[in-house]
Amino acid sequence: MINQPETRDLLAEARQVLLESVAPELAGEHKYQALMIANAMGMAIRELEQREQGQPEQTDRAVRAYLSEQSLDETATEAETDLARVIRERRLDGTDPALRSVLRTLTESRLLINNPGYRKR
Amino acid sequence: MSALADTFSAFIVRQCGARAARVIEFDKLSGGAIQDNFGLTLDLEGGSRPGRQEFVVRQDAPSGVAESLSRPEEFRVLQAAFRAGVTAPEPLWLCEDPEVSGQVFYVMTRAAGSASPRKLVKADFSEEQRRNIVRRLGAELARLHTVRPPQASLVFLVMPDPDNPALSRVALYRRYLKEIGEPHPVLEWALNWLEDHAPEPGPTVLCHCDFRTGNYMMDSDELTAVLDWEFAAWSDPCEDLGWLCSRSWRFGADDREVGGLGDRQDLLDGYREVSGVDLDPATVSYWEVMALVRWAMIALQQARRHMSGEQRSLELALTGRMVAQMELDLLNQVQELEDGQ
Repeated sequence: MINQPETRDLLAEARQVLLESVAPELAGEHKYQALMIANAMGMAIRELEQREQGQPEQTDRAVRAYLSEQSLDETATEAETDLARVIRERRLDGTDPALRSVLRTLTESRLLINNPGYRKR
Repeated sequence: MSALADTFSAFIVRQCGARAARVIEFDKLSGGAIQDNFGLTLDLEGGSRPGRQEFVVRQDAPSGVAESLSRPEEFRVLQAAFRAGVTAPEPLWLCEDPEVSGQVFYVMTRAAGSASPRKLVKADFSEEQRRNIVRRLGAELARLHTVRPPQASLVFLVMPDPDNPALSRVALYRRYLKEIGEPHPVLEWALNWLEDHAPEPGPTVLCHCDFRTGNYMMDSDELTAVLDWEFAAWSDPCEDLGWLCSRSWRFGADDREVGGLGDRQDLLDGYREVSGVDLDPATVSYWEVMALVRWAMIALQQARRHMSGEQRSLELALTGRMVAQMELDLLNQVQELEDGQ
């Protein structure tokens, strides 16, 4: 089914109207609410972009590859769930740079959606 | 709103034996997802507090978070802190009868100034003013930490179990994470680190546990009141200092590690001047890592309140999306500690 303009375009335009025309007319609690709405829409837009680029799958593959290297890739559940479990069970060395790297990859992938500016701090 | 003002006003008239009261001002104060705070200014005729009086009335909002105290418990903590000389609103009267206003509430004095973190962090203070503010924060904590268990009025505060506040926290957060049921590998990793690096516990003291920029009132450069006591607990003194220094509460002024205002050494100096105790900066750093995990846990719980339908809220939903920030800070901070920075 063709349904144009696409969702990302609709959201981006709506967010721009909110920020450029609506929010400047508001004050106090309503302005704060408008900025929260713009923030939520920004996340939705970035999440759609990341999905189009296959970013979540790439991150999952990186986690899965790490678990395979550690011979811990034994269940059929989501890679992140497995990773959390084997860390909790102390089956990994917390100081291993490869583990730290995969944790960073996961965190940065989420920040690319939730708050891209935070990564530069 | 005005019916509520009359209800509170009548309660206060009874408490201070006044002949009558006129409501000069009544408004709902900002902040507090867990409680409703109302500013109430009265002109009281006769009684123990005659004349114009500014009060704050604090009562429960529809729902709370797992860790927080009830209003009567919070009132008793505030009494203990006030008696210990902490600059806090004076707790006046507790009303435990929900028939009066529909909720349990208490009345305290209203402090001057603002608690707005952004305003404070951006304020045009001199270096000396900043140092004095930060030393004052240390001094306030030192006074609070003179309150030690056992205290007959604070029996509801549980003692750390095991007998080590850090390990007690780790066990609690493991339980929270299990209850939340979402995979969070970074938090699991950080909890392991916290378990492996737990310092020797200091004395067990009354901690505020939410002592941060945004939770104390400032009138220009003068601290007028430490607020929001609902997370108070028996814990290690360094828990309060670590929370105040956490990266989460610098409001953009990342290089000023004490609440976006100043340096840690001034905080420790202010603490020592009142208590005579030299706290170990490394223990404070450890508790900063704990602070990041704790804030992540609170954020996850707040998101759950939204997701479960208990309290649908955009603000709570967005807080859930902040957890990755705490996770990145955890990865960076542990690395920095290990690198000896």
